[in-house]
Amino acid sequence: MGLFFLDSRLNTFSSIRSNLSIVTYPVQVVAALPREISDWLTETFQNRTQLKARNAELETNNLLNSQRLQKLENLERENMRLRELLGSSFRLRDRVKVAEIVTVDLDPFSPQVVIDKGERDDVFTGQAVLDATGVMGQVVSMNPLSSHVILLTNPSHAIPVQLNRNGLRAIVTGRGVNELLQIDFLPHNADIRVGDLLVTSGLGGVFPVGYPVGTVTTVGFPQGKAFAEISVKPAAQIATSRDVLLVLNSNTVNASSGLITSDENINDGG
Amino acid sequence: MADNRARHGGGFIIASIFFSIVLMLIPLPDFLRFFRPEFVALTLIYWTMALPRHVGVGYAWLVGLFMDLVMGGALGLMAFSYAFIVYLVLTFHLQLRQYPIWQQAISIFSLVLLLQMLLLLTSPRVADWNFWLPPFVSMMLWPAIYTILRSVRRTFHVS
Repeated sequence: MGLFFLDSRLNTFSSIRSNLSIVTYPVQVVAALPREISDWLTETFQNRTQLKARNAELETNNLLNSQRLQKLENLERENMRLRELLGSSFRLRDRVKVAEIVTVDLDPFSPQVVIDKGERDDVFTGQAVLDATGVMGQVVSMNPLSSHVILLTNPSHAIPVQLNRNGLRAIVTGRGVNELLQIDFLPHNADIRVGDLLVTSGLGGVFPVGYPVGTVTTVGFPQGKAFAEISVKPAAQIATSRDVLLVLNSNTVNASSGLITSDENINDGG
Repeated sequence: MADNRARHGGGFIIASIFFSIVLMLIPLPDFLRFFRPEFVALTLIYWTMALPRHVGVGYAWLVGLFMDLVMGGALGLMAFSYAFIVYLVLTFHLQLRQYPIWQQAISIFSLVLLLQMLLLLTSPRVADWNFWLPPFVSMMLWPAIYTILRSVRRTFHVS
C-alpha cells in the first residue's frame, strides 16, 4: 500500500523502476510479435497494383507538400525578420527524432503507449511526442530500450493551448474513455467557436510552441454552471499512428543568430 | 523426471501467467479493446484456488508488480489489487472449489469488478458503461479458462 503512495506522490523509485522495467521488454516484444508478423506478411505479399496506387498517392502528397514548403520558407524568413524587429526570440524549427510505437495494448482506461526508443536514445521525461498531424502526448517513464508515452486522451494529462484565431489561452485535458478532449475553466463569454484550431502555447515549458492539438467540436454554455463545456477533437491520429516524432529540445534561440537552416531529422535506427 | 515435475511444476504456473500477460498486451481492434477479460487475474485466481499453498498473496503481489511495470501505472497499484483479490480467494477457496462452474463464474464477476473498482479508486481514470465490460467478459470466459488450466494442471501433474 505504501509502495504506490511513495511511487505516485514522491517518485522515490524512478531510477529503480527504470532498471526494473527492462525485464518487461521481452514480454512486450513477444506480445507485439503476432501483429508484427501479420504486418510483415501484408507488406511482403502486397500486389503490384496496390503498391503502384500507394506510390502514386505518396507522390502526389509529396508534390503538394513541397509546394507548401516553398511558401513556408518564405513565410518563415519574413516571420524571423519581423520578430527581429520586435527583438523577440523564437525558434521555428525543432529538431526531432523518429520513433515507432510498439504494438502492445495497455490499459484501455488509462491511455498510454510504448515507443521503441529509451534512455539509450536520450529520451527524457516530459519530452513532447508528436505525430504527422499533431501533438500526441509526452514521455512519462523510460527504460534503456523503450519508454511509456502518456496520451492526450489520458484523464491525468493536461496541455496548455492557445486558440489559433485569437490567441485565447486555455488548458485541454483528456477524458479517458472516448477519443475526445475537453477544455476546462473557460468562462461563458469566452470567444470560442466550433471549428477553432487549438495549438500548443508552449507556456508549460514542456511542449514546443505552435503544434496543432485539436479542433473544437462542440461548445456548450450550460445554464447554472460556472464554465463553458467545450469538447475538442485531437489533431493527432491517436488511435492509428505508428510512427511518432520526439522533439529533442525546445530551447529558444535568438532570432538575430539567424535561421536554423536544415530541418534535421535524426534517425538512428537504434 | 516425472517425479521431479510433480514436486516442482511451478514452471507451468509461471508459463501460464506469462502467457496471460502476453494476452493482456496483444493489440486488439479498437472496438474490442474494452472487452478484454482480466486474463492475469483469472489465471491467478485459478492457481490460488487449485494450489493455495503454491500460489498466494506474495505471488500475486509479485505478478502485480510486474504488471505495473509493463502497464506503466504507479508502482504497486496492480500489485496491491491482485494481492487483495487473491487474499479473498484464499479465504474462500474451499467454498469456491465446491461451487458448480456457473456459480464460480458469478464469484469471478464480483472479484474482477472489485479489482476494477480498486483500480478506479486508486488511479486517475474515467469510466462509463464500459467499466462493466471486463468483469462481464471475464465471467463469460471463466468456464473455458477453468477447463484449459485444469487440463494443464492434470496433464503435467502440477501440484
